[in-house]
Amino acid sequence: MATATYPPPPPYYKLYKDYLQNPNSAPEPPPPIRGTYVLYGANYTTDDVLPTLEEQGVRQLYPKGPNVDFKKELRSLNRELQLHLLELADVLVERPSQYARRVEDISLIFKNLHHLLNSMRPHQARATLIHILELQIQRRKQAVEDIKRRREEAQKLLQEALGTLDGQ
Amino acid sequence: MDIISQLQEQVNTVAALSFNIFGTLQRDAPPVRLSPNYPEPPMNANGTEETTNLAEQPKTMSSELVKAAKEFDVLVAAIPISDGDEEAQLKRIMELQAENDAIGQELQKQLDAAEKELKQVQELFSQATDNCLNLKRPD
Repeated sequence: MATATYPPPPPYYKLYKDYLQNPNSAPEPPPPIRGTYVLYGANYTTDDVLPTLEEQGVRQLYPKGPNVDFKKELRSLNRELQLHLLELADVLVERPSQYARRVEDISLIFKNLHHLLNSMRPHQARATLIHILELQIQRRKQAVEDIKRRREEAQKLLQEALGTLDGQ
Repeated sequence: MDIISQLQEQVNTVAALSFNIFGTLQRDAPPVRLSPNYPEPPMNANGTEETTNLAEQPKTMSSELVKAAKEFDVLVAAIPISDGDEEAQLKRIMELQAENDAIGQELQKQLDAAEKELKQVQELFSQATDNCLNLKRPD
């Protein structure tokens, strides 16, 4: 049974034959891709941004604006959700054929909840970055202090040694 | 798990609880009497176990749903979000970056000075040992 061998590696390695002697004789690595690119027949974009609810055709229940008070909106959406679930229970008891509208409302609330949570992620990312930078600054300060201390200790030792040698 | 992932998990839990609750209640509900003319639907003698389950199921399930919703509220209260909006955060990041660069340069300076001193000491030490070895005459 004949099996196909794997395809050969790309032939670019031949261009780097003289890399050790002359690093400029070989081509530079390709620059990062900007904009959209095609991968296995699908289009991807390099600009990762969360699409707004309107772009997905979903009504937005919490107020739009530059600064959304996340906690307040999450709490009010939670309350709305509970109310709608109670309404659904009522409708099922009294007018069972009208469940569709209520179920739609409940799924709308869930979509809004998830979208709100997703829109908190960039804020979280920036806060994480701030935290990491602060930690790094603290570590660097500590390292500077350590080096200063060690240098002073070394100087002191040398002075002592000099004193001992002179005393001899 | 970070707080936002916990919140997302809690939302999914509430959703799963609610459709399990409605599905179970609908499936297990006894038939409804349509009109006083028709006789009551025949109640099969399945024992009292089913009826007690049917009576207390809504209670346990609703208390679980309310508990899950309360946990969501607790998680929302635990979000460490400050009032800083995007520009304030970006400004802080720029400040921290500048401070990081400055202290990085200071660290580099200290490191260079320390390395220089180390080399000096090493050279002097090797000179001293050479002198020692040269002055020592084998007896």
